[in-house]
Order: sequence, then C-alpha cells, then structure tokens
Amino acid sequence: MDTAPAAKATVHTQNPPKRRALLFLVLPPALWLLCFLVLPYLGLFIQSFLGSDDLGNVVLEPTLDPWKAFFTKTLYRSTLLYTFKIALTVTSLSVLFSVPLAYFIAFKVRRWKELLYSLIIVPLWVSYIVRAYAWKIILGREGILNSFLQWAKITDAPVEAFLYSEWAIVIGLVHIYTPFVLMPVYTAFEQIPRSLVEASKDLGAGRLTTFFRVVLPLSLPGVIAGGTFAFVLTLGDFLAPVLLGGTDNLMISNVVQNLFGTSNDRPLGSVVGIVLLVVVVALLETTSRAEKSFASLESGRGRLGGAR
Amino acid sequence: MIRMSSWVSAAGLAVLGIASLGCQGEKKPEGAAPTGSAAPAVQKPADPAEKFKGQTLNLLTWEGYADPKFTKGFEEKYGVTVKYTYFGSSDELVAKLKSSPGVYDVVSPSSDVAYPLVQGGLVDPIDTTKISSWGDLADALKNLDDAKKDGKQYGVPFTWGPDYLIYDANVVKEEPKSWKVFYDAQYKGKVTLWDDISNIYLVGQIMGLDKTNPAALYNMTDAELAEAKKKLVELKPQVRKYWATAGELNDLFKNKEVVLAVGWPLTVGTLNKEGLNLKGVIPEEGATGWIDRLMITSSSKNKELALAYLDYVTTPKAQALVFEATGGYCVANAKAKEHMSEDLKKSPCVTEGETYFKRLNFWQYVKERKKYNELWNEVKSAK
Repeated sequence: MDTAPAAKATVHTQNPPKRRALLFLVLPPALWLLCFLVLPYLGLFIQSFLGSDDLGNVVLEPTLDPWKAFFTKTLYRSTLLYTFKIALTVTSLSVLFSVPLAYFIAFKVRRWKELLYSLIIVPLWVSYIVRAYAWKIILGREGILNSFLQWAKITDAPVEAFLYSEWAIVIGLVHIYTPFVLMPVYTAFEQIPRSLVEASKDLGAGRLTTFFRVVLPLSLPGVIAGGTFAFVLTLGDFLAPVLLGGTDNLMISNVVQNLFGTSNDRPLGSVVGIVLLVVVVALLETTSRAEKSFASLESGRGRLGGAR
Repeated sequence: MIRMSSWVSAAGLAVLGIASLGCQGEKKPEGAAPTGSAAPAVQKPADPAEKFKGQTLNLLTWEGYADPKFTKGFEEKYGVTVKYTYFGSSDELVAKLKSSPGVYDVVSPSSDVAYPLVQGGLVDPIDTTKISSWGDLADALKNLDDAKKDGKQYGVPFTWGPDYLIYDANVVKEEPKSWKVFYDAQYKGKVTLWDDISNIYLVGQIMGLDKTNPAALYNMTDAELAEAKKKLVELKPQVRKYWATAGELNDLFKNKEVVLAVGWPLTVGTLNKEGLNLKGVIPEEGATGWIDRLMITSSSKNKELALAYLDYVTTPKAQALVFEATGGYCVANAKAKEHMSEDLKKSPCVTEGETYFKRLNFWQYVKERKKYNELWNEVKSAK
C-alpha cells in the first residue's frame, strides 16, 4: 500500500487526498467482509478437518472423518436431496404465482398500481414466525380451514393432512417467499418498453403469443433472480419444518442446527455448512450467468432472440 | 491432545486471535445487567441482603424452573433480578453453555449430562456448608456419583420426575397399561413424542432391555440400536409431531392434535388448570426419569449470588413452591411437604416417595451420545 502510490505517482497526477478518500471508502466494507465472511468461513473450513472428543469438544487433531461421514452416511445425502426437492417445489410455485400477479399489476392495473404492489409487499413487514404461526392456526385440526370445510359440509371430519406435513411447509414457504420473487419480476415487467408490446400486436400476434414470445423472454432475468431468491432462502430454512413440518420433513438446515445445537458435533456441522455454501455459490454463479445471457435479448444478440 | 474451549472454535479457529480482537465487538451476555459483573468481594457491606442489590442472576434451565412463583421470593429477598433462558433438551443445554460462556450463572442439568459438565470443567464445585437445607435434601440424590469429582460436590439436588405417558382422559377412556398403546391403530396420528434421543431409551424399555440392568438403555449395542431405530420408524405413521418444547406440547393437546404423549408432569399440571383432563401414568414397562440438579457454571460472574440462589431454592418453603409451579415435580427437600396444600400432598412423590423413585429408570450418561443423536436424526429423516 505504501509503495504502490509512490510508483504510480509519476504516471497519474492524482493527488494523495483523493486516494486516501478511496481507501476510506474501501476499507469499511473490506473489513466487514473479512470479519464476517472470510474469517468465519475459513474457521469453518479448518474446523471441518478436526476431530471432537466424547464431551463434544473440538480437538486439534487433523482428520478426514467428518467429510467421510458426510459422504458415506445416507442421512446427510438424502436430507440434502429432500431439501432440494422442497426448494424446487417452493420456487416453481412462487414463480407460478408471481408471474401472472406481476403481469397483472404491471400491465393491466392503472389506478391502484402502487396500492396493489404495496399490498403484496406488506406481508414482508410481518415477522416470519408470526406468519408461520398463522398457518398453524389456519391449517390445524381445529383450524380455520377445517372448520370451514366442515361447516360447508365438504368434509365431515377434520382433515389432519393439512398441518404437520410437507404441504404445510410448502404452503408456508411459498407464502413467505412469493414477495421476494414478485419484486424482481414486477421490476422486469415494468422495464419492458411498451412499444415492443405494441409492435408485437401490430405484427398480428395475439395476447398469448405476445406474452410468451415478447414479454416473458424479456422478463426472464427478473424471473431467474426471483427464483434464485426463493430457492436459496428455502435451502437455508429450518423454521418451517420445525413449526409446520411433520415427522418426516427434516431439512438440511435442521441437521446443521442439530449438529451445532444438539449433537455438539461441530466438525461435521462445518462440513454440511461448507457443502451447502458451495452448492449455493455454484447456483448463484449459474443463475447470474443465465441472467446476463437473457438480459442481452434486448439488443437482439441473446440466445432466444437470435434464433428466430 | 489439546482440548480447546469451544468458543474459540466457534469464533473460527483460523482467526488466530486477530478476529477475536477485531471482530468480537459485541460479546455482551444477553440481558445481563452491567452491574452484574461488579466484583462483590471488593465492597464489604454489613447487611448480606444489601450485598447483591441490583445484580442479575441468569438461569439456563428446563421449562418451569424459572417460575416467578418461587423466583420472586429470591428477587425480593436480595433486591436482584432473575433472568432465564430455557433449553429444550439436555444436548441443547450443553451446546448453549459451551457456545456462550459467561452468560449463564446457574444451570439445571439432568442426570444424563451432569457427568460431562462436571468432567468437562463447565461447572464449579459447590460449598455445601453454604446451603442451609443441605442436610434435609434426599440422600439418594446427594449420593449420586455423576456430580462428584475428587470428593467435591458439583450439584445441588433440585427435583426429579418421570417421562411418563400422558393421555387425554376425555378421549382415551381406559388407562393405558403399556407403552404399546402408541402403536394402537385407533390412535393413528394422535401420538406425540419428544424431539429428543430419550425416545431411544423409551423403545429400549418397550423392548425390555432394562429388565435386569437399568444402564442397558444408555449403553445399547449396535444391534439393539438398529432394532430401536426400526421400532421408532415403525411408530412414525402414528406420530403427529415431535414436540420440541413443553409449550409446543401444551399447544398440541389444547388444539386437540394429539391424545397420547410422552411428557412431564408439568404439562399435566399446566393444562388441567386450563380445563383439560389429562392424566399421567407409568406403564407396565416402566418409565425413564430424570434427576435435575442445580449447578454453578465455572464461567459465571456472579458465583456468590448463584450460591445464594441455590441456598434459597432448596429451602422447604421454596421447594414447596417449585413443586406447585411445576405441576408436581418431586422435590429434593422432604420438608417441603409441610408447606404444601392438602391437594398437592396426594402426589405420588409424597404418598409413595421411595417406591416411586425406585420405579423410574433414571437417565444416565450416554457415552455414545453422538451415535444416539445421529440415530434419532436418521429416524426423523426416514420416509
């Protein structure tokens, strides 16, 4: 840091105060990242190669056992796969709800646009736990849904499959994460030049054709961004299985929580944490590439646009 | 082998001190008042009651062990505040204690984790001469070896009780004789188990493993564990939910989600006050039980106050209040009976005393705890 400015001083005529200002600008986030991202993950990584004794203390003895345990025991693999399955379901449903809703608000509503948009975002202000509990009250054996179904004579006994099941988890998470998907999708719709839609109609395309050939491809970056939110957030969720899940809906974060908070097996917990991190980073990289490639559609050089 | 204090590992081993200096700005115990750390040894007030004034005592206990019914008396006596954090399982206690040293002063470990806490140096020896009721506390509890090291006593007996079968007497008309009622098709989806490895002990009892040797439940062989897992997976369709906290178990009964459970007298006591008709029973296979002792953490900053609390809470009067607040956990001090209402005296702790104590298979230290925990996770993830 000391030598670099001196060496470059001859080339650039920038005055030192500006550089110092730059340093002050870069330093806080760099420190933040170092303290709360780099060092903890480094610690986690090293911890994953250590052993632990009978009392659950981490001991300074390098070993590959935690990694072996993760890859040989079905518990961890099958839970990870199950979590992917739930995350995929939640993501698909959230996208399925968000796209028509965002389309409606962006293109069809005129007067109450802001209000409608806010109404969808407002639930984000309510704490996660409160919303999960609300679903407990709705889906329970003596809950609102069951009371209604019995009152309407659709069922004659309470349906127990609603609460404490995989579907309860999915419903809860879709409700909680849909706004996260809707926001980027809506923004993408808003950014589509209306002239393109009009041009499509002028060229004789019907509403559906316009939607699928013009609007949807142009909004794909938003859909991908939103979908990634929902997927990654679901992947890391452990409260929904605890509050809404039944007896066989263990998700990977529950296992992490259990390894750190109950079993006292920090090394193995670190392994699961790192695997999850790698998966998420790979996923983010893939989706950000996909977003970029679809974002270039507008200029006509993108994959879909270029094909026709 | 170098044993490391676990918070170092939690803060990220590799940090090599840099992080602990630079990144741990906020390491304040939650809810602990700053005055709590004031060293009482420096000041020498004449009145012992004034000595602790304004301090805060932090308890890390099972649900029900910080009820204002009995903590209030202590707060008023010394002019202090009692704060508490609940844990939902023995393992959670150990994990919490290890990951946040200095936060908690008094813990209430059960007989399964007392041993590792004592051996691991997480708790301090107790000067029993400062416990005024020490002589009145049940010998059977004081004599247990797991809370002793080098002839020193580390735990003050507090309460004991069963993990028994709780049933909703409005639905289950006949008192269940055996734990096998959990497998009864009639109660499919109406059963709830605790989200804890103690279920492995439970099926061990159903399998009859502890008929000759109570310790067998806590030292199962691989074959026995495999059999226990099979039995627990078989039971899954019957189970509505694994409850994680006593509060959650209350909700499950109140919302009529379940009619059968494994649980503690606390649940029966709490819910019957709200108009439910729950009953608890020890089935023919027996039941496991727990002995809870109070211990002072070695990282506590208020050890004197903690000792004063142990002294207070084992007095006959306070113990009677504990008994009442917990819905009938048996208490360590037999003299507590003198302060109980007639109604409460009907409890088996009072009427049966020793025979009741002998009917329970008390939790012991499980050496293969990691294996037990992993097995329980496997049960939960089984489809």
